[in-house]
Amino acid sequence: MKKIVSVSLGSSKRDHKVNVVLLDTEFEISRLGTDGDFDRAIELLKELDGKVDAIGLGGIDLYLYAGQTRYAVQDGLRLAEVVKNTPVVDGSGLKNSLERETVRYLTQHSDLLKPGSKVLMVSALDRFGMAQSLTDSGCDMTFGDLIFSAGIPYPIKTLEELEEIARKTLPEMTKMPFHMLYPTGKKQDNQDDKKVEKFGHYYHEAEVIAGDFHLVKRYMPDGLNGQLVITNTTTAEDVEFIRQKGVAYLVTTTPEYNGRSFGTNVMEGVLLALLGKKWEDVTSEDYLELIGRLDMKPIIRKL
Amino acid sequence: MASHNEITESLQAFAEEYSNNKRLKIMNKDWNRKILVLANDIESGHTLVLNEGELSFTEGNVENPDLTVISDSEILVDMFYGDITPAEPYLKGTLKIIGSEDDILRLDFISLLIWGD
Repeated sequence: MKKIVSVSLGSSKRDHKVNVVLLDTEFEISRLGTDGDFDRAIELLKELDGKVDAIGLGGIDLYLYAGQTRYAVQDGLRLAEVVKNTPVVDGSGLKNSLERETVRYLTQHSDLLKPGSKVLMVSALDRFGMAQSLTDSGCDMTFGDLIFSAGIPYPIKTLEELEEIARKTLPEMTKMPFHMLYPTGKKQDNQDDKKVEKFGHYYHEAEVIAGDFHLVKRYMPDGLNGQLVITNTTTAEDVEFIRQKGVAYLVTTTPEYNGRSFGTNVMEGVLLALLGKKWEDVTSEDYLELIGRLDMKPIIRKL
Repeated sequence: MASHNEITESLQAFAEEYSNNKRLKIMNKDWNRKILVLANDIESGHTLVLNEGELSFTEGNVENPDLTVISDSEILVDMFYGDITPAEPYLKGTLKIIGSEDDILRLDFISLLIWGD
């Protein structure tokens, strides 16, 4: 049996464990949240090192991408560096393949995503592949990176401007404590009421809301009118939450096991274990070929 | 050690760069703040005022600022001229910013959007 563990800076309320068989290989997949406790995450990573087949880092990124440029997140690297023997992934490699594929699938096999669809991506720098793919599909994009991460009410409308702002800010912002840029720990359990009130209109104006679920949820206003949400890591509770807000469709990009859509960091760990390659040797084509063999398709749910 | 006048000149450069940046004015339309800039090695205080997207500054202190930026005169000058980013001294502890975390982050973004790249 292969063991994949996700160590997350997120809330421990979302911890879970499942056993699945994929391509005749048995997996035990679990997620351990540290409620934003960085030191606890380091302890856990040290404990797990050498004892499991892959470790996913959740609630934090190792790298952010804008175009061809990759920006290393210092807090993410600090976590990854304590693991000496087990492969560590943050999901960024898989996101780049799987989420492009999700957009392609939706445009070809559904009428949920059309050229001209108004899409709000709450954050694009952690999902540049999806941002690029949605743009290429002709969607009318709003990238909310400045709005939701920095509280600056400035919708970025093009990938070019997103890359330019990233070039100016990310080399320094990636050095800041990660919790300043992204909700970690208990913040993931609550909404930011002030920002919901101030920025909720961006959700109302969109037909599609895409991106990291913790951000999607944290700023989602009431009274939505049938929007589609494209995300992952949703629990049954989360699905009910967005349904009550007025979301009509949920598309999750990663497979569901026991009613739970897993994070890309976990799934990248699983795929890496199946490939039996070093992370640095794995290509997008490897992931795409394996995604095909596993018949991994986005899950479309009418709420 | 830099002088009070040198800090004034660096703030002048910062305010000019800001004024030339239409995008920043749009971004900060909603952010009305008084920012006190204090040197901790010489007698020097300045006040930056953001109002409806426009940035101005005066010599001297303001009461009840929303944000207070404290560092030594050299760091303040380097920072407002864009020779160093705020993140560097902030993480080293040689730059203190007193205010809400959201405001601190926003001030960082403004500096980077002026001087970054």
